[in-house]
Amino acid sequence: MPSVTTPVRKRTLSEVIKRLLLLDLFKGLAVTFKYNARALYEKREGGNPNQAIYTEQYPRERPRVSERFRGAPRLNLDPETGGTLCIACDLCALACPVDCIEVGSIRREVREGDKVNKKKVLTTFIFDTSRCMFCNLCSEACPTDCLELTQGFELAVYHRSGFRWDREMLEKGINYVRYSK
Amino acid sequence: MMEIATTLLAAPKWIIDLVGKDNVFWADYVVVPVIKIVIVLFVVLTVVAYLVYVERKVSAFIQARLGPMRVGPWGLLQPLADGLKLILKEDIVPLKADKAVFLLAPIISVAAALVVLAVVPWGAAWATISSVNIGLLFILAVSSVGVLGLVLAGWSSNSKYSLLGALRSSAQMVSYEVALGLSIIGALMFARTLSMTGIVEAQQADGMWYVLFQPTGFLVYLISALGETNRAPFDLPEAESELVAGYHTEYSGFRWALFMMAEYAAIIITSSVAVTLFLGGWTGLGWLSNLISGWSWTHSIISPENLQVILSIFAFVAKLFAVIYVYMWIRWTWPRYRYDQLMELGWKWMIPAGLANIVLTGIWYVLALPKTSGGLFGLMQNQGGRLVASGWGKIYFIATGFAGTVPIIWGILALINRRSRDFNLHEQRQLQVRLRRERLQKGAEPQPAGD
Amino acid sequence: MQDQEAAKAQATLFDAEEMVLNMGPQHPSTHGVLRVILKLDGETVTDVDCDIGYLHRGVEKIAENDTYAMITPYWDRLDYVAAVSNDLCYVEGVEKLLQVEVPKRAEYLRVILTELQRIASHLLWLGTHAIDIGAVTVLLYCFREREEILKIFEDFIGARLTAHAFRIGGLWWDVYPEFEQRVRDFLRILPGRIDEYETLLNTNRIWLSRTVGIGLLPAEEAINLSLTGPVLRGSGVKYDVRKAQPYSAYAEFDFEVPIGENGDTYDRYLCRMAEMRQSAFIIEQALDGLPEGPVMAKVPKVIKPPVGEVYHAIEAPKGELGVYLVSDGTGKPYRMRIRPPSYINLQSLKRMAVGHLVADVVALIGTIDIVLGEVDR
Repeated sequence: MPSVTTPVRKRTLSEVIKRLLLLDLFKGLAVTFKYNARALYEKREGGNPNQAIYTEQYPRERPRVSERFRGAPRLNLDPETGGTLCIACDLCALACPVDCIEVGSIRREVREGDKVNKKKVLTTFIFDTSRCMFCNLCSEACPTDCLELTQGFELAVYHRSGFRWDREMLEKGINYVRYSK
Repeated sequence: MMEIATTLLAAPKWIIDLVGKDNVFWADYVVVPVIKIVIVLFVVLTVVAYLVYVERKVSAFIQARLGPMRVGPWGLLQPLADGLKLILKEDIVPLKADKAVFLLAPIISVAAALVVLAVVPWGAAWATISSVNIGLLFILAVSSVGVLGLVLAGWSSNSKYSLLGALRSSAQMVSYEVALGLSIIGALMFARTLSMTGIVEAQQADGMWYVLFQPTGFLVYLISALGETNRAPFDLPEAESELVAGYHTEYSGFRWALFMMAEYAAIIITSSVAVTLFLGGWTGLGWLSNLISGWSWTHSIISPENLQVILSIFAFVAKLFAVIYVYMWIRWTWPRYRYDQLMELGWKWMIPAGLANIVLTGIWYVLALPKTSGGLFGLMQNQGGRLVASGWGKIYFIATGFAGTVPIIWGILALINRRSRDFNLHEQRQLQVRLRRERLQKGAEPQPAGD
Repeated sequence: MQDQEAAKAQATLFDAEEMVLNMGPQHPSTHGVLRVILKLDGETVTDVDCDIGYLHRGVEKIAENDTYAMITPYWDRLDYVAAVSNDLCYVEGVEKLLQVEVPKRAEYLRVILTELQRIASHLLWLGTHAIDIGAVTVLLYCFREREEILKIFEDFIGARLTAHAFRIGGLWWDVYPEFEQRVRDFLRILPGRIDEYETLLNTNRIWLSRTVGIGLLPAEEAINLSLTGPVLRGSGVKYDVRKAQPYSAYAEFDFEVPIGENGDTYDRYLCRMAEMRQSAFIIEQALDGLPEGPVMAKVPKVIKPPVGEVYHAIEAPKGELGVYLVSDGTGKPYRMRIRPPSYINLQSLKRMAVGHLVADVVALIGTIDIVLGEVDR
């Protein structure tokens, strides 16, 4: 390393004293010591940024998930009739960027009073959660509020095939295995 | 030989009764030390395992998180789980590694670290395994052997990067050992003995912990100890973000655990030397011992002498953990130095400070000698055969330690390092930018940003 | 020739021969899958070569086969650390093509979310930069603050990290009831926390030794290398897209753009810390002046912009993030080109690293603040 002659800058006395007494180093130590001390006597409440310990001990303390969280998909049922709200319009499959939805339907004759209409009725609905990027485009495209991304985030499965959710699983929802400790 | 045994470390009566009156020699030199060695080894190895746990907890609390919590209540069985896992791991030896040396290296490191425990004064009277009268020298010498284990590990791993990492680590350790050795001489001038128990007794006689007489010595010692044990902020050779892997990369399973044990044992040793030399060793709870012994009903439970020793062990351990806490506190607060900055700190800051400390302490000491011995101020007096600072003498030494040695040493260091880059960061910045701009204007190729 | 060979024959391990060191794709400090090939002379770096492409996912090609609305979620995954601002760039680009006027309320909300994301991105940068240099605790503290921001995002947008925040024409959702309270609470604790980081790092002599004078980049070189963002501003060049070509509602807010002096790592660090404070100031102004109204403009269901091309750039936390869209009248873009700030800023690594020591390379990669998702797309 080449040596260069450096122009000497006048340091103020307070700067010199601070350097000598290693004040900058001790200030840092004070910050961490405060955290250490607070961690020992403060009551613990996971997820509170004003507390000294911020940890939320999952799975004992479950995180609070927001209302709008986009997690596990669900096909909603009509609360009155119990039937599916899906009209098999295929808009969700068209809107999906990663092609993870497959909607199967048949045309069935439905009697509505005097008229006989051929209506599309949903038969199969396959949702591949391994491809899904949870972007919500499908849910936004759905005209009947049927397809919705719910608050489930524990979507791990033991087998690849568990990622392809069929209509039944989508309507019922996932069964969580609740770990208590 | 018998005289030494009859002083501090004589075998207690019940062992002599056990062994037989004719075998006092065996009782003094074999049975009792072996018992103590077993106890100390067992305790220290457990403490080393739990020091990892304590480090994880301390680092967690500093970082606003919890640390190990799952294995056992509060994660207390975590070291057990870690130890079990490491023992059960696959034993990998690199293909072209020198197998004998590869297997030997961690053993050398651990052995060097653990042998030293024999002379550490854990407490008064019988709470030391052996009270050699060159105890401190023994500690420095044997802990240096640990560096050998490191270098052998790096070399036998048959990896270019392990070797380079080991060489850097060992160069750092050796440099800071010089500074370590120099920093303790100041305190030794007051103690006038290398025996660890003798040093503590000297502090008792002087009535003052030597940290107050030798603040610079203590500071230099602490920093050198951090450098010696490769702890932050001097842990670049073993940091994860460092490109060149450390000496223990090729080690897995229990061999790696041996290196970690050696590192934490070295931390315990350097801390115990700090406690013994500067913080008064096992003194400090004498008042409590006197208080409790003052109540005569306790005499049936435990004799006053044994109580004193037990409390002295507590005092020592408390101070030891305080120093170890400071090590951990520092590690999780400050960033780390780059290797060249680290070596510069060792050679151009710590060693001159140590040397200057010796000279200055000598001057203050000689000036304070009694007038009959040639001193000027006569602030020391003869107390039971040793020169001890009088009341005014204590104040004199504290004053010269803080207000004399510290500024003078700072002045010397500033003088030596006045051209160093890190000392003049502001000026260096302005200068380098200006130099670069001039080079660019002259039409040269953009030069590398040399130092 | 013979001299050279003779010299080579006598060369040993310790002679001045260049050593090639591979800082491989898997490395704790390269912030992603970046391969840096270093040529070393002892410990001094003589040449740096970056090998990228490990995270290339072909986003620009995918975009040619997807409709405009479907492309938006892909933009989150570019700079996955600062996802919300990526969305802003693309969505505004399409709105420019469509010549759609976004309602004022939506613009203000976009500014709030983008500035929150800028704070979050700088917090992550600070954490990773600090841990590369050795101060581990700062990482954990920064992530705690970042977690608060991500919670706000979760409540508003529905996802934390790759939140598909903006839609073409506005936002999908309006604010939720406690939004303003939460953001103000966060802004109240933020300055204290930034002060904490500064106490730990700003004057710490070890931090100064590691960052002052490292990676000097004079202003002319920075401009010649097309750098943008805090890397450019740290060298003293006053260029911020928010001020130079104001987009969204930035023209209505009053904020400063911090400029460095010397162009070293320390200046870039100071720039980003000051930027965090300025972002907090902008958010406060936006919250105070949040207008009423709809949050989504009248945009057709199927987006078919007229034939044309547009380039739109925003000031992402990493630099100038730009999108160049060519539309051929159909529902899918003909070409979408992303101007990634990290990719272009990465060029400066060679200029900065040559002449420094190996341990500094890690600090330099951190100071450029790259995210491989953006470098490789």
